[in-house]
Amino acid sequence: MSFAGRGAYRMTSFQSSLGEEEGIAEELAESQREISIAEFFEKNKHMLGFDSGARGLVTAVKEAVDNALDATEEAGILPDIYVEITEVGDYYRVVVEDNGPGITKEQLPKVFGKLLYGSRFHKREQNRGQQGIGISAAVLYSQLTSGQPARITSRPKGQADAQYFELIIDTDTNEPEIGVDETTTWDRPHGTRIELEMEANMRARQQLHGYIKHTAVVSPHARIELREPGLDEPWKFERATDELPAETSEIRPHPHGVELGALIKMLDATESYSVSGFLQGEFTRVGKKTADSVIDAFRDRHYGRELGWSPPSSRSTVTGGSNADVEDAIEAAVANKGAAATAAFAEAVADAVAGHDHVARSDLVRIVGNVADAVEEDTGRTFGSTVRKNAVAAAWAVVTEGPADADGGGDGRKGRGDGPSDGGDDRRDGDADSPLVTDLYALVDDATSTRKDDETVRAMAAALARRIGDLEGDAFRITRDQLERLGNDAAAFVEEQHDAAFGGTARGNVVEAAWSRARTVPDDPPKVRTVAGNRDVAADLLEAMRATDILAPPTDCLAPITAELVEAGLRKEYDADFYAAATRDAEVHGGDPFIVEAGIAYGGEIPAEGGVELLRFANRVPLVYQRGACATTDVIRSIGWRNYGLEQPGGSGMPNGPAVISIHVASTNVPFTSESKDALANVPAIEDEIELAVREAARELKSYLNERRSMQQRREKQDVLGRILPEMADKVSEVTGHSRPDIDGALARIMNNVSVEREVDDGSVTLVVENHSDASERPEVTDIVSTEPTDLSDGTVVDMDGEWFVRWEPDVPAGETARLTYAVADDADFDVSIGGVETEKLTVNT
Amino acid sequence: MTTDTDARDRLIDLATDFYDQFAAGRIPEMELPTRTKSNIEYDEESGVWTYGDRTSIRNANSVNGARKLLKATYTIEFLANQLDEDRSSTLRELYYLSESWDNDEAGFSSQDESNDLVEDLEIVTGVTREDFHMRPEESGATLMGPLEIREQTRRGEREIHCQKDVGEGGYQIPNNPDMIEFLDDDIEFALAVETGGMRDRLVENGFDEAYNCLVIHLKGQPARATRRITKRVHDELDVPIVVFTDGDPWSYRIYGSVAYGSIKSAHLSKYLATPQADFIGIRPEDIVEYDLPADPLSDSDVNALESELDDPRFQTDYWEEQIELQLDIGKKSEQQSLASRGLDFVTDTYLPERLNQIGVV
Repeated sequence: MSFAGRGAYRMTSFQSSLGEEEGIAEELAESQREISIAEFFEKNKHMLGFDSGARGLVTAVKEAVDNALDATEEAGILPDIYVEITEVGDYYRVVVEDNGPGITKEQLPKVFGKLLYGSRFHKREQNRGQQGIGISAAVLYSQLTSGQPARITSRPKGQADAQYFELIIDTDTNEPEIGVDETTTWDRPHGTRIELEMEANMRARQQLHGYIKHTAVVSPHARIELREPGLDEPWKFERATDELPAETSEIRPHPHGVELGALIKMLDATESYSVSGFLQGEFTRVGKKTADSVIDAFRDRHYGRELGWSPPSSRSTVTGGSNADVEDAIEAAVANKGAAATAAFAEAVADAVAGHDHVARSDLVRIVGNVADAVEEDTGRTFGSTVRKNAVAAAWAVVTEGPADADGGGDGRKGRGDGPSDGGDDRRDGDADSPLVTDLYALVDDATSTRKDDETVRAMAAALARRIGDLEGDAFRITRDQLERLGNDAAAFVEEQHDAAFGGTARGNVVEAAWSRARTVPDDPPKVRTVAGNRDVAADLLEAMRATDILAPPTDCLAPITAELVEAGLRKEYDADFYAAATRDAEVHGGDPFIVEAGIAYGGEIPAEGGVELLRFANRVPLVYQRGACATTDVIRSIGWRNYGLEQPGGSGMPNGPAVISIHVASTNVPFTSESKDALANVPAIEDEIELAVREAARELKSYLNERRSMQQRREKQDVLGRILPEMADKVSEVTGHSRPDIDGALARIMNNVSVEREVDDGSVTLVVENHSDASERPEVTDIVSTEPTDLSDGTVVDMDGEWFVRWEPDVPAGETARLTYAVADDADFDVSIGGVETEKLTVNT
Repeated sequence: MTTDTDARDRLIDLATDFYDQFAAGRIPEMELPTRTKSNIEYDEESGVWTYGDRTSIRNANSVNGARKLLKATYTIEFLANQLDEDRSSTLRELYYLSESWDNDEAGFSSQDESNDLVEDLEIVTGVTREDFHMRPEESGATLMGPLEIREQTRRGEREIHCQKDVGEGGYQIPNNPDMIEFLDDDIEFALAVETGGMRDRLVENGFDEAYNCLVIHLKGQPARATRRITKRVHDELDVPIVVFTDGDPWSYRIYGSVAYGSIKSAHLSKYLATPQADFIGIRPEDIVEYDLPADPLSDSDVNALESELDDPRFQTDYWEEQIELQLDIGKKSEQQSLASRGLDFVTDTYLPERLNQIGVV
């Protein structure tokens, strides 16, 4: 994990972008209160990519170039980037220029000055800036090592003059100060130039070159020029396309993608009062319905559910209790409402209860409320809250304890005392006849296998009933976790006391059955302020968010390079024989959408010795260091490359051969292994997509190599037969005493070739195209004639400065012959060229 | 017998075929009968097994095919020249000679390859290799018995009596037995014997004299010359031929190639095979009847026996019965195991009894 962006936190008021980072951020904040900015930088420079002069130079260039590319692309300008490194005495000077929109004086401190400033905190958008620590760190590094200010020239579009600034960061206050601000001239019509001097060396030249070259590969729309002391000639990378990357839109975070720390910060910052409003307002893909689902899940976690029980009406007569008992109990509990109204009320409640499969206490409250309202309306009698409360209590007692007059009902139940929590004189104990036991007996019996003997089931029901009976209040509120604990405890008790097996599966089934008949409570969820103020409650909310099915985030926040341009980039920088690329569809990991792309270049000038070159990109930024720790490397190693025609010693590991493999992962939140953002973390969902993308491109490589192999075999066959058959013909003519036979026809036939032969007969020219292959061919035949041809068979003729180009594209089916004819003066010269047929398959005899 | 000119003309004809194919823009090819067990057929008229109708085409459409045809053309030239100059050479010499050709691609990579090619040319031209003046290495097979012959040697004619004019080793069969003329004989029957040890035993015991028998030493799988002379003895002298081998599957194949013709040279069966030849033993039945010392059948013996059951040449009641019996008892015996009953047992008892049974004596 790492900072979400270059602006993930500030020097003065540290913010953690994501929960897991809180530790780091707090640590940083702690130290910052006591030390200067210089000390802070010194202590953390390994994290910022400035741990050595060699690396510092690369990081500075990388930050500046990333910044320049972002600035130009955001303005819709095709980037034209100039990078220059020169030695200045004991220091190195880094100059990076772009043709972006320029920068105003007001923006200047924000962009270049304030360390780790940025607007990208919580911004769900694919951006280079997500990678780096920021150009400001480079500014500070330069200032700390050379004592020189950053020199910035900016010329906004349409302005006649450029503005020159010198910028220094006050290391006591961490505030940028503009030292010089003057008008100057600059030959670029618009853009920004930054000049930094720093203590550095060129030992990481290879990484620098790699970074620049790979940037050119991954940004084929950019022109890049690099000058550095080790290069005799400037190194120029031309543009391969005029197409800018698609603009990305920002999305709000996805509920599956936030962590606890971030959630608490969002809760702190939101203006919403209710959790529902907060969810709908701050997250993507959350509407009223989804918010309700999340809130139900939140209630289940925060309040627990209320366990439901069978209505007395559905119980067997033996165990007692019936609809009438409910009626009786309610009638007894209601006073002074008149016999008719009371009877109607009691009957309606009893009927409603009987209409449920299971009743939780909140159900009963709702039923009584509804019935009371209806009866009030019908009879004009008022059923106040006390009456309602009494009615609920009376009916609930019947549901959970049985009818008041039943044997063993009421109080003074006999406890069995067979366990620490298994005794007691509570009204809801393990009495074999209590409704809870009876109900749970049916539940356990249903949920467990038929092989469980009756005694075990009974014991489990009793033990569970005792534990549930010990719950606080009479509504049997319990969270899933608590319920599991109770289930385990009861099962363990049964196992111990009855020497019977009650294993994990059975326990799980029982808990699941009980949980599924429990009701989400109607209580209002805690308000945002409460959630924000209590870490545990917030954790419940986060868990609820994660447990709820939510539509994957939209993917228009991503801008893949596209397979076409991945290939164009490779084509531009690698002179290979073959290129392939693939772009996968967007997928989601932890609420952040991502897209993986892969490209392969093979053969040509790519060195054949040693392992293949792996280019790694995250959000269009080349990853330079820590290749071995990167998920992309792991994936490449895990693929069986022999199957795709590359050498792979031992059948695993990095493949060998003249190939370059490039992998690009674009995401709103690329997971890195560490703060230095050099290697992708091993996230299975992303690794899977990387593998699929690479395999997709590799399949094309395989068929190319197969095709090439068969072409090679064909060439070898041609070579050998082209040598043997003339020798055989010579020998045959020697033995028979005849003159040497013409063997071209035989050769063309053997090669499954297309043969083109010229027959000239008294001013009429015929090109005979014979197709000896087993597929139809469409050769492009062009005959260049020195005098004007007439009487063409089909075809077209073009006069080009005294030469006539006669052109045909005949369709020649397998095994057939086409005759292309024209008339021409006797002394004409001809020159035929054939296209549209692979040269290996072509025999021209004209 | 084909004259040298005929032989030469047929070779040139084949080369002309290739020439014409080239000239017609076709891929040169050579058609050969398929030389496998499944493509041999019984020829009612001659009573031997020859190739059936299935053919394989060898053409220049592949690198290997083209190389074979190139080699064939070079070999045709070599053989034609050899016939022109009235010289001869051995198959092995052809193999070495190919190294001297101006074309590396035409050289043979093994002697099997050159042997096969010569056989191909025999089949396509219908001329035997003897008529190409190609000989194999001497096989060393011999005759011993009351037969007088005249042999046309390179050093003049020789008249030889195969009993009186020869040492104990007998008369060595020349490579081209068609150069032999039978002058006189006193042969009752000819006994073709597989092993040298048994042949020596018969000679030492004077079996050839006692029975007026021509003892032909096959020396394992008989060379063409041995089979050819056996056939001539049968056809021209009108004497029965009796084959005496070990009692194992490999020996039955020796009998098969004497009597029915071999798969590899089925194109010459009419010229080499003696379908009237009788098999005398050792039969699996003898192993039981004479209680001969025996070895258990190995896996490859069993496979060979089973393969013989599929072999059209052995699909007769007699052989099916014998082979199944052998598979049943699981044993095999050598000719010389008869010595377990004494050195004279074979000449005094076994052969007279068996010859009597098959009606030769």
